[in-house]
Amino acid sequence: MLGKVWAVLRKDLLIELRTKDSLNAMLFFGIVVLVVFNFALESLRDSIRTAVPGVLWVSFVFSGTLGLNRMFASEKENSCLQGLLMAPMDRGIVYLGKTLAAAIFMFIAEIAIFVCSLIFFNLTVWSEIPWLILVFSVGTLGFTAVGTLLSAISVNTRMREVLLPLILFPVVLPILVNAVEATNIILNGPDYRALKLPLAIMTTFTVIFGTVSYLMFDFVLED
Amino acid sequence: MDLTKQKKLDAFLLGILLIGMILALYMAFLGAPRERTMGDLQRIFYFHVPSGIVGLLAFAANFVASVMYLIKKDRKWDSLALSAAEVGVMFFMIVLVTGPIWAKPVWFVWWTWSPRLTSSLVLWLLYLAYMLVRAYVPDPERRAVMSAVFGIIAFLDAPIVFFSIRWWRDMHPSAMIEKGGIDPAMVPAFLTCSLVFLVLLVYVIRRRLFLESARVELERLERAANLVR
Amino acid sequence: MENVDTMHYLFAAYAAIWIILAIYLFSIQSREKKLRDELRNLREFLEHRPDNRKKA
Repeated sequence: MLGKVWAVLRKDLLIELRTKDSLNAMLFFGIVVLVVFNFALESLRDSIRTAVPGVLWVSFVFSGTLGLNRMFASEKENSCLQGLLMAPMDRGIVYLGKTLAAAIFMFIAEIAIFVCSLIFFNLTVWSEIPWLILVFSVGTLGFTAVGTLLSAISVNTRMREVLLPLILFPVVLPILVNAVEATNIILNGPDYRALKLPLAIMTTFTVIFGTVSYLMFDFVLED
Repeated sequence: MDLTKQKKLDAFLLGILLIGMILALYMAFLGAPRERTMGDLQRIFYFHVPSGIVGLLAFAANFVASVMYLIKKDRKWDSLALSAAEVGVMFFMIVLVTGPIWAKPVWFVWWTWSPRLTSSLVLWLLYLAYMLVRAYVPDPERRAVMSAVFGIIAFLDAPIVFFSIRWWRDMHPSAMIEKGGIDPAMVPAFLTCSLVFLVLLVYVIRRRLFLESARVELERLERAANLVR
Repeated sequence: MENVDTMHYLFAAYAAIWIILAIYLFSIQSREKKLRDELRNLREFLEHRPDNRKKA
């Protein structure tokens, strides 16, 4: 089964590496959002470090949504989805492959956006990096776990990709709340022990919605 | 159940409702003690909280209906899911409107990001999103499937949302603490109002279901007549 | 807390509840009426012109 997941994943990765369409858009958008926030939060100039976790994750979420949209939009355009579905595999495998691909792209964009934020907001982080990677990974996985399913739904509606942010953002609020808080604990907070709860909630979210999306993906793809 | 039986049941429910509402009003205003700190303003509680409870029940009904639709593929479950969601959204609107009206004189702000109010807002948004999904899928069967999937996601999300917000609130406490325990003298009024709202829920969902079955019937006839719309 | 003021808010809250409920129930009722009218028209239309099916 893992081999099949890897096959689906590899296809998406290869396509992206060849064109880099999605990644470029995600990166650019993420950085633009950072800049916009800098102007929006002008009054917080001196204490901007407290706003950084929120700014970062809003940027991640916008960027990730862009990536999720691209993922199914291009498939629908070229009817690749039909081809993919004719392959002898469980629809859930397609879900896993796509989710992992989306997570990887989003994570790459996040790293780039984060590095830019270090420059823009004059931060220094060294010892915090492994923890940040942990939080970014779990949060991203949770986001894409439910995002892939909802993207498949929205692409099949009259509004197409426009619907995705509207239905995705309310659902991923727990990830946003906990990821921002976890990032805040790492960057500004005193005690890393407080990380247990947000990480636990994010992991629970990922497991629940990953499983449920895996099971229901078949229904959404019926064409 | 044929039409006349339906109408009879509806009339019966409406009768119980009218009596119930009067009873609920009596209990809320005269049958319950005056609260110490907030005075009579606190009486909003007797309608505000049952609205929330009943709204949650409606969303739970949507969840069950969504799951049943995915299993049985019977259109009736889809109609129930839609009706329950719409009615739930309405009850939550009541919660979101009465909440700030209650908060303003007590805490001098219209909105507090308290766990329950914020969770109510998110839940309201989630099921508005459900209605959006329904609005933009033209084909009836696909619409039923897509919204059933989203309905399941939304309901599973609700407790996680509440828990996350409540924990976040603990990290960022504010001066506004929500009422925890309830004075035992207030329980009869609260129970009465909750029961009346329960009957109200059943009545409104039935009315909405009626409307939906009429719409489905129209759709079926149009298709049978091969009319192009 | 000024008692008169809180009465205004109490009234506003209860009024809001009735208004929201009333609007919703009325909207159901009017939608239902419109649908039943359309259904009746459609049924009459089909009865009087049974051979009106468009060839696909």
